[in-house]
Amino acid sequence: MTCAEAQELITALIDQELGQAERSSLEEHLSECSGCRLAFEEESALKNKIREAARGINAPGHLRSRILSDPRIFTEKSRPARRWQDYLRLMPPLLRPILAFALLLAIALPMFYFSKPASEPIALAALETYDRFLSGDLPVHRTENTDEIVRQLTRAVGGQFHPMGYDLTAMNLRPVAGLVREIDGRKVLVAIYQGQGGTLFCYTFLGSEQDAPTNAARFFEAAKKMNFYAFSRGRVNAVLHREGEIICILASAMPMEELLALAKSKAKPS
Amino acid sequence: MAGERKTEGAERDAFAREAMVHLDHLYRIAFHLAKDEDHAQELVQETFVRALAARHQFNPGTNMKAWLTKILQNLFFDRYQQSKRWISTDDPAGQESNDWKHRPAENPGPESQVLFKELSSNITDALKRIPEEFRAPILLVDMGDFSYAEAAEILACPIGTIRSRLSRGRKLAQQYLAAYVDIEQKGSYRK
Repeated sequence: MTCAEAQELITALIDQELGQAERSSLEEHLSECSGCRLAFEEESALKNKIREAARGINAPGHLRSRILSDPRIFTEKSRPARRWQDYLRLMPPLLRPILAFALLLAIALPMFYFSKPASEPIALAALETYDRFLSGDLPVHRTENTDEIVRQLTRAVGGQFHPMGYDLTAMNLRPVAGLVREIDGRKVLVAIYQGQGGTLFCYTFLGSEQDAPTNAARFFEAAKKMNFYAFSRGRVNAVLHREGEIICILASAMPMEELLALAKSKAKPS
Repeated sequence: MAGERKTEGAERDAFAREAMVHLDHLYRIAFHLAKDEDHAQELVQETFVRALAARHQFNPGTNMKAWLTKILQNLFFDRYQQSKRWISTDDPAGQESNDWKHRPAENPGPESQVLFKELSSNITDALKRIPEEFRAPILLVDMGDFSYAEAAEILACPIGTIRSRLSRGRKLAQQYLAAYVDIEQKGSYRK
C-alpha cells in the first residue's frame, strides 16, 4: 500500500467505517510508516476537536420559543400561553404604565398574604435549581466525596430512597455537591455533576410517570421496556424516567439527543 | 369531524415534540451551513415547518434525525445555494462574517469557558472556509454522528464520495486550523 492510497483509508479507520480486509492492510502500513501514523493522529485529533466544539453549540432559547409558538408547527392548544408583555404591547402606549402598575398590584397583594410556591409540575419546578446553581444563587456544600453526597442525601429522606448514583467520568463529569429540595411536600434529592463536560443535575424523588410534564415528548425504549420523557425549561433540557417508585430526571444544557441517549444508557429496568 | 381534527392536532403535536429533540443538532448543522446566525435560525424553523407538512411521509421507526437533516440540507440548497452551490475557497474572507467570530457560546461549560469559546470559534472559522461540498460530510459525520451510509443518503451521493470528501475536507480544515490545533492533544493510534 502506498501513502497516497492510505490517506482515504485513514479517514475511514478513524470513523470506524473500514472493512476487515482494508483495516488489516492499513494497519500493516501504519506500523511501518511514521508519516501516515502522524497523519492518523492529526486527523483523529481534528475529529475530536470538531466534536468537542459542536457540543457547545446549542439552539438559542428564542429560536426554541419561536418554533414552539409557530402555528405552522404546533397547534394553538399546545403553544405556550402569551406572555404578559405581549398583552402590554396590545395596549395604547399611554395606558401601558397604568396597566402594568395595576397588574403588579393585583399580583403582588395576594402574594404578600398567600405566599406559596406556584403549582408547577414537580419535574419543571425542580429544574429551577439548575439556573440558580449556575448563577451562584444556590449555596451548596461542595465535596468530591461521592459516598458523602449519597449518605447525606439518603439521610435527608430517612433512608426511604437513595439518589441515583451514576458514574459519568467518561463524560468528564464528577459529582461535586448534593442538596435536598422540598416541592409541594415531596422531597427531591439533587446530585450535581460538573467537569469539562459541563454541568449535569440528577434529580431523584418518589413518584410516577404522571410527574412528567404533559407536553413532554415520550420515547419508548423497546430494549429496556421503559418510557423516557424529554422536556425543556428555558435552556435546560431534561429527561425523566421511572425505576420502580423512583423518578429520575437528568437535566443539563447539553443537546437533548445526547441527554436522551445518556438517560437510556444509564437507566435500569425496574 | 371535530374529534378528527382534535386527533390530528394531537398527532401533529406529538410529531413536533419528537422532532424538537433534534433541535440542537439541526441548529448546529445550519449554523455551519448558513451565511449567518439569522439565516441559520430561519433555516431551522423552516425545516420544522416542512417536516410537519411532510410528516406523513416519515416512516415511524426509521431515523428521524437523518430525515430532518435531509430536509434541512435540501432546504439550504433550495433557498441559499441555487445560484451558487458551493462556497469558494479562493476568497474565504468574502464568505466570512464577523458574527461567527463574536458569537456568544449559548451553553458554555462552567470551566475553561474562554478556551472553549476560542476553540469553538476557530473550528467554526476553519469550517466556514472549506467549500460546502467538503464541509457537509464533516458536519454530518463529525458533528451529527451519522454513518457514511446515512450521510450518503442525506447528501444523495455514493458512500465512496463521502469518504473521499471527508478525507479532503479534513485536510483543508487541518490547514486552516494549523495555527490553533494543540499538538499535545492529538489522538493516539492503537493497533
